[in-house]
Order: sequence, then C-alpha cells, then structure tokens
Amino acid sequence: MIQEKVRFQPFSSEPIRLIDEQGRWIAPFEHGLPPDRLQRFYRDMLAARLLDEKLVILIRTGKTSFIAPHAGHEAAQVGIAHALRKGHDWLFPYYRDMGLVLALGVPLVEIFGQTLGNAADPAKGRQMPSHPGSKALNVFTVCSAIASHIPPATGAALSMKLRRTGQVAVCTFGDGATSEGDWHAGINFAAVQQAPAVFVCENNRYAISVNISKQTASENIAIKAQAYGMPGYYVDGLDVLASYFVMQEAIERARAGQGPSLVELVVHRFGAHSSADDDSRYRSREELAAERQQDPLLRYQRFLEQQGLWDARWANELRLEISKALEAALQEALQAGEPDPLEMFDDVYAARPWHLEEQRRLVAEELQS
Amino acid sequence: MPTMTLIQAINAALDEEMKRDERVMLLGEDVGKRGGVFLATEGLQQKYGPDRVMDTPLSEAAIIGAAVGLAAHGMRPVAEIQFADYVFPGIDQLFSQAAKLRYRSGGQFSAPMVVRMPTGGGVKGGHHHSQSPEAHFAHTAGLKVIVVSTPYDAKGLLKAAIRNDDPVVFMEPKRLYRAVKEEVPADDFLLPIGKAAVRREGRDITLVSYGGPMVETLKAAEEMVAAGLDPEVIDLRTVMPWDKETVLASVAKTGRLLMISEAPRTASIASEVTATVSEELFDQLLAPPLRVSGFDTPYPLAQDKLYMPTVTRILAAAKRLLDY
Repeated sequence: MIQEKVRFQPFSSEPIRLIDEQGRWIAPFEHGLPPDRLQRFYRDMLAARLLDEKLVILIRTGKTSFIAPHAGHEAAQVGIAHALRKGHDWLFPYYRDMGLVLALGVPLVEIFGQTLGNAADPAKGRQMPSHPGSKALNVFTVCSAIASHIPPATGAALSMKLRRTGQVAVCTFGDGATSEGDWHAGINFAAVQQAPAVFVCENNRYAISVNISKQTASENIAIKAQAYGMPGYYVDGLDVLASYFVMQEAIERARAGQGPSLVELVVHRFGAHSSADDDSRYRSREELAAERQQDPLLRYQRFLEQQGLWDARWANELRLEISKALEAALQEALQAGEPDPLEMFDDVYAARPWHLEEQRRLVAEELQS
Repeated sequence: MPTMTLIQAINAALDEEMKRDERVMLLGEDVGKRGGVFLATEGLQQKYGPDRVMDTPLSEAAIIGAAVGLAAHGMRPVAEIQFADYVFPGIDQLFSQAAKLRYRSGGQFSAPMVVRMPTGGGVKGGHHHSQSPEAHFAHTAGLKVIVVSTPYDAKGLLKAAIRNDDPVVFMEPKRLYRAVKEEVPADDFLLPIGKAAVRREGRDITLVSYGGPMVETLKAAEEMVAAGLDPEVIDLRTVMPWDKETVLASVAKTGRLLMISEAPRTASIASEVTATVSEELFDQLLAPPLRVSGFDTPYPLAQDKLYMPTVTRILAAAKRLLDY
C-alpha cells in the first residue's frame, strides 16, 4: 500500500501545528473527520485529564504509593492512540502514558488495579503504579528502566517485518530517554533494518528536574532522526489533531514498508515528575502558570466550539459520565483484594524450578503459622 | 555417528533448529557472511538468508534488546554476543527486560530467547577476552544459565535452550571450541536443562565442575584413580537452576566435596554449591567443602595459566579433603 499523499515535511524549524491557540484550523488541507470522531478526541482527552485528577486523589488519600501525572500530555497521547490500529499494532509505552493506554482501550478497572497493586491488576501487583500493560491490546508492559523498551520495540518491529504481519510498533518515551545509550541502539538498528516502527518523544522538557537544555545541545529532538537516516517530525503536542495526523502518516508510512520515523510531540507537564517529587524546587510557579494557559483541552474546546460541536452543557454531561465511570471502576478495583502472596513465586520462569519451590514452601509455612 | 568439535556441534544445533522452526533466527555481530568470529554460524546465512541470520550493528544492547522484542512478538531469536566480556552494554536489556518481562507483566508477555556467548580463559585473551561472568546471570531471577563442556552436550542443550520458553544464557568455553572431537548423533536429540552429568562414579570424593575446568577436573580424577583413589566427577552443565539433587546424592555418598570453577571465587556458583552442601549435609560431611576457583582479580594476561584451576591445585585441595 503506497500512501496517497504526504502531508508533512520532516525537520521543520517550527512545530507542526494544525489548530492555533484560538482554536482556528490553520492547516492547508481539510481534516475530513466526521463530527462524532472530532468529539471523540475531546472525550478521550477529558477522560485522560479526569483520570489524572483521580490518580492525584488516590495518592493524596494514601490509597496508592506513586503516580506519574500525565496532565498536559493529553493531546499527544490521544493523538497517538487514535492513529494506532487498536489491538493490531503494538504499543511500547513509558511510565507517563496512563492517558494513552486509557485512550487505547485498556479497561479502567485494570488501570486502577495496577495503580492499587492488587488482584485487579493483570500484572498481579508486581510493579509500581503507572506501569500498565495489556496482552489483549498489545501494550508491552512498562519497564521503569528509562529507554530500555526501545530496542525491544525495534525487535518486535523486525518480527512484524520478517513475518509480514502488517503491524507497526509504536514506542513512546520522554525527552530524558533520548540521552540513554539504549535509545540510540534501538533507533539505529530499526533504521538500518527499515523496521516498521514509530518512535515518539513526548517532550515536556523536563527529566524530573533537569531541563532539556541540560539534556541535549540539539535544537530539538526530531532533528536527531536525520543522523539515523529517518524522518523526524517536530510537532506541537498540545494540538491533538496535529499529533494525530502526523502519527497517522508516520504509522502508515512504516506499515507501507517505508521504514521508521521519529516524532517529537512537544507538550507541557502540568504536574510534578511524580508524587515523590516537588517541582517548586526547580521551576517557577510563573512558568507553570503560563504553561497552564496553553491547556491542550482548552485549545481543542475552542476548535470544537467554532465547528458547533462543543457547548458547556454537553461538556458537563460528558464530565459527569466519565467521572461516574471512573468512580465505578475504582470501586470495582478496590473490591478485588490483595493478590495471593504466594504469587510472588510465579512467572519468574514458565515453570517453577526447585529453588523457587523451596523458597515458596518456606513462605507458605510462615504464612500458615 | 559423526564426530564433531564443540563449535561444529553448535553449528549443527543451530542449523537443525532453523530447519525445524521458521521462527528461529540468529542475530549478532559478524554472524552472517563471516559466520561469526569463531565460525559458530558458518554457512547458515548462505542457507537461510540475511533476514534469518542477521548481521547487526556493533551494539550488544541492540542485539539483546531486539531479541527481547522478537521473542515477545513470537520469534525464537538466538543472539550471539561475540565474547562474554562484551555483554555488559547489553546487561540492561538482559536483566531489566529479558529476565523480568514475564514477571513484570504477570505472565502476559515472555521472552523465549537464547543469548550465546564464548566464555572463559586459557587463550591468552587478557581480561576482556577471558572472563567467566556466569554468576552475574545466575544472580538475576528469570534467566537460565548453561555452561557446556562437551560437543554432545552443546548440541543437545542448545537445541533444548532454543525450544525453552524462558530466556537462556548459553555459555561456550572458547578454549574447548576445537579442543576435542566426540561422537554426536546427527539426528534430533535434546538434553534436559537443569540436569547435571555424572562423568565418573566413585566413592571417595565428589569433584563438581562445569565448562572449561572440566578438562582439568577429569585429568585430576585420572591421576587420583592412578593413585588408587575412587573419585566421583559431576559436570553441572546448567548452573541456573543447578542440579542440587545429583550433587547432594553424590556428596551424601562420598562425604567430601571439591568444587572447581575458573570464575572469581567470591559470590560465585562454587560458593553457592558449597554453601548449599554445607547447609544440607552438615552431619554427613567428612571434611569441609572446598573450592578451587579463579581469583578475585581482573583476569590477567601474563598469568593466564596461573589464574586457571590447575590439575596440581585440584589435587592439592583433594588431598586436604582426603587427609582431613
């Protein structure tokens, strides 16, 4: 399948943007999307925002131990999710992608189960919160080690190419990840093999406290692609339709056998790095307040309003409906209870070797006494 | 039955598994036209093409990391690391990704893959072509670790490793690649991972080793036999999970354990085996279990022979056990 048209040029000096701050469509092409689809983007962004708010409540009320807030990333994450073929393509996410996996269709009960680390977590409470995964949706379970999922994304894409499955591997990461050796290793190999992969930087310009200026001397992240021999797209990640259309072009380009791309979605991080971080120590409240004025939901709301697809009443109903679904899923997850303590010894290997049998027996006896 | 060297047995195992299962593929530095720097993959790219015998960039992280993704997506990759000493740039991929994928996903994803690497000293390779890093791998939950010492085992265990559903580190003592030839069946056979081989039965003392120093261990055993002693010799073959049952049964019989390994002494496989025997057979031991091992120095070049467990050193330790 050869793409009918190429809409975007790589290596632009300004971020690719289709909707301006006032909500006006400024692209040289028609978006061609039906009203319900346009509203779906808003719905998914709102759900991502409300999920983030819910997770903040869970941490403040002591129900969970950790979160990595994604507020400010919603347009980028929803744009990525809409560009993937759900359940067909593979996603290799990082720890700030709860909005992305929600938009991709990971059930809320699983998301809360993972956050609570209880029996509702398909990964059996094995990892810290903000580390989702779903075999059913081809979401490769998040690994904390920064950029360590990039070579595996390349490997999966190689398998897709060798077996001609028509799938694409989409791999997301933050700006800090681009400094890791494994980032280079994975992206370089994917380019050499023309593997069907799309590497996506959700660039919020902070790796915990370290500003992008201390991370790289490159003028942006996208330009790094040039050295690897692949296109790099510099995109306004606060613009959901820019994120979507660029991702779609990169994904379909990969699917058509034309190789990998690097997509940089420039976003804001409205929260701290995590619930264990105090960002007032390293960035001014004025800077943050100014960024919050550029809320991706607000910009898209203005766009929809101009299309006659948004009004306050509809938005309030939507908010209520999502909030109810969040609360219901949370309650269901809370009911799940603790995982079986002896599950600690499962899934280390396909079958338990003798030494794990022995260690399991020790704990079983301890629990019985 | 054909006779083969260890490297020929590995080549045969790879060839047979690639023929049997289309999902099996090889990747690594120089594995293609060059056939690997030790020729383990010789002729295979010509036979199976550049997609299934893939030359990679010079990047262990890319090789092992891509193998994780290939495996998770359904392939059966066999990655070659040119020397065990060079695995370290790929360690985050091996430890954080391959070893923990099944666990961290609650069993949703897994990485059935093999990482092959030449290991050990005795070839005047200095410290970056001679190390025996198996304890690092054995210490990482989720990996299985095999160290072979014979052509027959190499074929049967490599084929088993490729069909295994867990990530397996497969270590090949480079000094044994062409040291001996033995009869290896030309047809399909598998050996069980986690099962030791009793190389010689005996009553007086148990010598346990694996990999390269099996050569010196068997020579020492011969000298002991010539001196009228009756040693039992065990080749662990798999060091994670190691075959406790076979070792305990032997030491229960002989009352004496000498563990021989060329890896550094502290926190080693040898330490693990001797500690376990001390814990479980304390009242049946006739002497404290001893270790003959490499030293806790970087692997030296000039003292290459001195570093390795020698027959003399093994016999001296055995004497201490027997005279105790």
